[in-house]
Amino acid sequence: MSLQQIYDVEARIISVSNVRGKVYKMAIDAPEIAGTAKPMQFVNVALGDSTDPLLRRPFSLSGIYPDRGIIEITWAVVGRGTEIMAGWQAGQSVKVLGPLGNGLDIANLCLDHGLILVAGGTGLAPLFPPASQALARKAEVNVFYGARSADDLLDTGDLVTGCRLHLATEDGSTGFEGLVTDLLEAHLGVQGTGDNGKPTVISCGPKPMLKQVKHICNRHGFPLLVSLEERMACGYGVCQGCAVPSAGRKSGYYRVCTDGPVFWADDIDLGECTR
Amino acid sequence: MNLTTDLGGLRLRNPVIAASGTFGYGEDYIKAGDISWFGAVSIKGTTIAPRAGNPPPRTCETPSGLLNSIGLENPGAKVVIEEKLPWLAQFDVPIIANISAESCEEFSELAAMFARSPHVSALEVNVSCPNVKAGGIAFGTNPDMCYESTKAVRQVWQGPLIVKLTPNVADITSIAKAAVEAGADALSLINTLVGMAIDVNTMRPVLGNITGGLSGPAIKPVALRCVWEVSRAVQVPVIGMGGISSAQDALEFLMAGATAVAVGTGLLVDPEIPRRVTQGIREYCEARGIETLQEIVGAARR
Ligand SMILES: Cc1cc2nc3c(=O)[nH]c(=O)nc-3n(C[C@H](O)[C@H](O)[C@H](O)COP(=O)(O)OP(=O)(O)OC[C@H]3O[C@@H](n4cnc5c(N)ncnc54)[C@H](O)[C@@H]3O)c2cc1C
Ligand SMILES: Cc1cc2nc3c(=O)[nH]c(=O)nc-3n(C[C@H](O)[C@H](O)[C@H](O)COP(=O)(O)O)c2cc1C
Ligand code: FES
Repeated sequence: MSLQQIYDVEARIISVSNVRGKVYKMAIDAPEIAGTAKPMQFVNVALGDSTDPLLRRPFSLSGIYPDRGIIEITWAVVGRGTEIMAGWQAGQSVKVLGPLGNGLDIANLCLDHGLILVAGGTGLAPLFPPASQALARKAEVNVFYGARSADDLLDTGDLVTGCRLHLATEDGSTGFEGLVTDLLEAHLGVQGTGDNGKPTVISCGPKPMLKQVKHICNRHGFPLLVSLEERMACGYGVCQGCAVPSAGRKSGYYRVCTDGPVFWADDIDLGECTR
Repeated sequence: MNLTTDLGGLRLRNPVIAASGTFGYGEDYIKAGDISWFGAVSIKGTTIAPRAGNPPPRTCETPSGLLNSIGLENPGAKVVIEEKLPWLAQFDVPIIANISAESCEEFSELAAMFARSPHVSALEVNVSCPNVKAGGIAFGTNPDMCYESTKAVRQVWQGPLIVKLTPNVADITSIAKAAVEAGADALSLINTLVGMAIDVNTMRPVLGNITGGLSGPAIKPVALRCVWEVSRAVQVPVIGMGGISSAQDALEFLMAGATAVAVGTGLLVDPEIPRRVTQGIREYCEARGIETLQEIVGAARR
C-alpha cells in the first residue's frame, strides 16, 4: 500500500489548446500534484458543479513539471465530458483529484537494453513523462506510435528529442501504412534481438493493440508493462468499480485505479478487458 | 451547535455516515480524505467467504446517477475482522459492519463472527443488495424473510442493529415494520434501485452483469419519499441516504424524518463531502438559532 497523499485541488487552468482534430491539451497550475506525481499516474477531473455529468473523468498526466508546479493532460473528445472540457478556457478553475494510480517507478526498470514504448491514439499521452525520464537516464528509447490517420496523432513534438519515433497510420496518411503492431514486428524482424538483451516494453492504447503487443513481447521474451483504462467511478480505490481480471497467481480482479493503471502484462487477463 | 445524534444506542458526533461500498475499509479513502470527518463509517458489504465480484464493466454513468454492479467484492469476514477493522478502529470513529448472506444460518454465523470483534459499534444487515444472485435483495422484498434474517442476527448480536432496506418493493413500510418487530434498533434506507443501460454501438447491455443498482442524485426524490413513509410508520431511528451531495440534500432527509444521513455516490465524486455537508448543516442551524439536530429531525412533518 502506497502512502502517497491524494490532493483535491481547485486549480487554475493555464492554457487549453486544440492539438488537432478532436485532440486537446490543457496545462493546470497544481503544485501539490506536480510536485509528487510519478510518470503514468492520472488525475480525476471534475466537470463542474452540476450533477449531470456526475462523475469526474480520469486522464493520464501527459506532462509533469514539478519546478513550475504544472501538470498537463491531453485528451480526445469522445463524449459529453470531454466535449465540455474542450470548451474550457485559460484562467478558469477546475477541481482535480490526484495524483492517482500506481504510476511507474522508472528506477526499478531495467533500461540497459533500451526502452520500447508502443502507443495507439491518445495512449501516447501517458508515455511522455516516462520517455523523458528514461532519456535522462541515458536509455535508448524507441517509440512506436500509431493512429487511424494523421489527424488523430498527438503532438509528437512533445516527445523529448532523443527518442526514436516510428509512426504508423492505418490510412497511410503519415508514416508506415498499417497497424503500429505490424510496424513493431517489422522492426524487430529486421533488427532481431539476438544476444543483445531484452528491452523493456511499455504500452498504452486500445485493448486489441495491447493484446497484440503482448503477443509480440511474449514471442520475443520482452518484459511488458501495460497501462489500462477501465470505466471508473471514484478513481481513488473506494468503489471497486474499475475491475480488471487477474491472471497468474492472484485470482479475481485488480482495481485499475489503485493496483494499476500500470500492470505487468502477465498479471492481467486482457481477454476480458472491456476497453 | 450540537450535531450529535443517537441511532438506537449508537452515539454519533455528527450525523454524516460513509455509506457502505463507497468507502471500502478506509485504507484508500484516507489518502484523499479524513476519516474523522464522519460521524460513523459503514464498511463494504462483507460476506463469510471472500467474493471476487462481478465481471466488468461494473459502472455506468446515467443522467445525475450511477449504475453499479460490483457484486459484493470483499475479502471475507475473517480478513475483514482480523486485518481491516483493527486498523480502521484507530481513528476512533464508530464502525458499522455491513453484512450480507445467502441464508438465515449464514446471517447468524456472520453476526456471531463480528460480535467477537471489539471494533464493531453496530451491525447493518444488508437485505437489499441488487447485485448478487442468491440472498441479497430477496431478504428485503418479503416481510417474512426480512423478519427471519433480522431475527437470526438479533439472536447473536446484542449491540445496535441496523437493517438496510431496498426501495425495490411495493410497500417499504411493511418491510420496515417486519425488521423492527424482529428487533432492529434502526433502519438504513435506501439501497440502490435496480436499473440497466444499453450501448447502442455494441447493441449490448453496458454492465457485465446486465443489471445494476442506481444511485446518486437521480434517486434522491425516491429515497426522500421512502424516509418520509418509513419514519412515520416505525418508532426506530432512520438513516437516510440516496443522492446526497450537499448540506441542503442532507437537511431534506433530516426534515423528512431521518436521524442521520449517509453519503455514497457523493463520496465517489468528492472525498471531502462529509466535511462540506457537516459544515453546511451547522451553518444552516446557526443562522436560524437551532441548537440541536433533534429540532430539525422530522421538521417537515410537524
Ligand atoms: C486511468 C485512465 C487514464 C485515461 N487517460 C486518458 C488520456 O490521457 N487521454 C484521453 O483522451 N482519455 C483518457 N482516458 C479515457 C477518458 O477518461 C474517457 O475518454 C472519458 O472519461 C470519456 O468521458 P466523456 O464524458 O467524454 O465520454 P462518455 O460520454 O462518458 O463516454 C464516451 C466513451 O468513453 C468511455 N468512457 C466513459 N467513461 C470512462 C472512464 N471513466 N474510463 C474509461 N473510459 C470511459 C465510454 O466507454 C464511452 O465509449 C483515461 C481513462 C482512464 C481510466
Ligand atoms: C459502488 C457502490 C457500492 C455499494 N456497495 C454496497 C454494499 O456493499 N452494501 C450496501 O449495503 N450498500 C452498498 N451500496 C449502496 C449505498 O450504500 C447506498 O445505499 C446507495 O448508493 C444510495 O446512496 P447514494 O445515492 O448516496 O450512493 C453501494 C453503492 C455504490 C454506488
Ligand atoms: S474507480 Fe473506484 S475503485 Fe477504481
